[in-house]
Amino acid sequence: MSGFPIVDAGGICKEFPNMSAPVLDGVSLTVDSGEIVALRGPSGSGKSTLLNILGCLDGPTYGTYRLGGRDVSTLTPRERAWVRLHYIGFVFQSFHLIPDHTVLENVTLPLYYMGVGRQEREARAIELIDRVGLSHRLKHRPAQLSGGERQRVAIARSIAGEPRLLLADEPTGALDTRTGNEVMSLLKEIHEARSLTLIIVTHDPEVAAFCHRQIFLRDGKIVDGEYRHAANA
Amino acid sequence: MRQTRSEILGRALRTAVRNPGRTLLTMLGLAIGVGAFLAMVSFGTGARASVMEQFELLGTRVVYIWTNMNRRDFGGSARPLTDFDVEALKREAMTVERVVPRITEVQNVRSAQTTFPTKVTGTMPGFVDIREWPLLVGGMFDDTDVQQRAKVAVIGTTVAQALFGRRDPVGETITIGSNLPCRIIGVLTSKGQQTTGEDMDEIVLIPATTYEAFLGMPIGYHELMLQVRNIRLLETGMVEAVPIMRRSHRLSENDPDDFRIASPAQAAQVARFVSTILTGLLMGIAAVSLLVGGIGVMNIQLVSVAERTKEIGIRSAIGASPRQILVQFLAEAVVLSFTGSMVGVALGWVASSLVARAMAWSGNLSVLTIAGAAAFGTSVGVAFGYLPARRAAQLEPIEALRHE
Repeated sequence: MSGFPIVDAGGICKEFPNMSAPVLDGVSLTVDSGEIVALRGPSGSGKSTLLNILGCLDGPTYGTYRLGGRDVSTLTPRERAWVRLHYIGFVFQSFHLIPDHTVLENVTLPLYYMGVGRQEREARAIELIDRVGLSHRLKHRPAQLSGGERQRVAIARSIAGEPRLLLADEPTGALDTRTGNEVMSLLKEIHEARSLTLIIVTHDPEVAAFCHRQIFLRDGKIVDGEYRHAANA
Repeated sequence: MRQTRSEILGRALRTAVRNPGRTLLTMLGLAIGVGAFLAMVSFGTGARASVMEQFELLGTRVVYIWTNMNRRDFGGSARPLTDFDVEALKREAMTVERVVPRITEVQNVRSAQTTFPTKVTGTMPGFVDIREWPLLVGGMFDDTDVQQRAKVAVIGTTVAQALFGRRDPVGETITIGSNLPCRIIGVLTSKGQQTTGEDMDEIVLIPATTYEAFLGMPIGYHELMLQVRNIRLLETGMVEAVPIMRRSHRLSENDPDDFRIASPAQAAQVARFVSTILTGLLMGIAAVSLLVGGIGVMNIQLVSVAERTKEIGIRSAIGASPRQILVQFLAEAVVLSFTGSMVGVALGWVASSLVARAMAWSGNLSVLTIAGAAAFGTSVGVAFGYLPARRAAQLEPIEALRHE
């Protein structure tokens, strides 16, 4: 299941023009294919910035980032979009579904941008929506769904393009405990079924307990990256 | 692999339908712009056609000469227009094909049933030719009638209606003035109303000689109509007629003309020129309103991009390329501009039909004009839609995602 590193980041620094201290200050990190990693740390520690760089939403100021063996630290915005489309899926705390799109349309979106034909992408999306247990909600708008349902739709969308790396930013942060656990179980199932690599930013120790490994960030540096197997791995 | 054009436009259409408020607001400016443009073009060409028609009613190859007898500033020194002038013009003017004099005064005209005060004209048989005015029934009086001072009349449809209702007036007798009985030998076709409200069909024609003998002609003819050989000779005809008239009236070199000369066709050219300028001006104003409509599209699209920053961030995070986002917003601009322009075409068409009906103009919006306005409206909208689309495409995904 695990093996070669899918994420291989070395000496990542991120500076913003209007800030004196760098947000990330020499972060080095490897994540093997198939791992589930929790990214933890207090607010302002640089977790989200690191996640953005790992997700190719942003580039590092210095340092190298190899994703699946390919250097992606110096790509143009257009190339980064291509990498996101084909390699990366996102799950956000506040779901980030497009409000005037139906469940089906939201899930087909990555496939649309990949240029998959209408029939095929709808068939694949319906299968995924069924997988997350929402086949009775195909034509609903996000506003008509509960928080847990919305996050399931977001998860279905995040894996529609069959990414190798799934990044989740506080995926249970806006949900109650029970729904949060359901969402985590779903992520876990999907991880196992698809041999995805999963990086989760979280405050929640219960969520972190799902993971093989926890990485702690403070002031833009990794302070503890101890490797351990999750109890139920 | 790329998305098909119909798929991109279909999505844009769907977005437009799902956000009706935003859609209407965006289309409004363009619709009004295109509508105003079409309405202006229609008013302009309609008014011009109407002006031209009015002038054509007076004959297209005609030069008019009027007497100054009734003008105070000539203190009675002006000479009347007479047969002597008519003969001089016929003899000497090379460009002139036909000279027809006319005197017109309002007289009481009676049938057996009723009396109708109307304009009675003493003239020559060439009147109907020079005014390009065919007869509906019967015939015009001829030169023999003129020589014999025949008591015959040709009447307009309004007079026929007033005196005889639906009956055929040909062969009936009318009495003009106190005691001039005339037999009706023909009825003129209808020319309708002039812009001034004057009814062209309120007319009775009798031979000029008959008029002079029985109704009197104390100050000669009111008007001489000269028909030039072709329309290009109008100017030359006028230049040629003036010295002939001056000699005929024995004016010395320093005397001013005691007559006036003009041609409706020439006035028509001036009118055409003026109305062309006016139409151009109206179209200019309308083009500005179209431009304003385009700027409206840009504004609403800019607001829309700002409002949808988060959506753009989501799309971008999923992996939409800047180009795909640009295309999406451009497609929305295309759909909105095209639909808006079509609504504008409908508005313009309705407005111009209403005005055309009110003014009794013929419909005058050509397919080309409509297509042109629609195409122009759409291009303006898309051109102004480009800036917001580019702004959307250039948004930083993280910034956009964070936007609330």
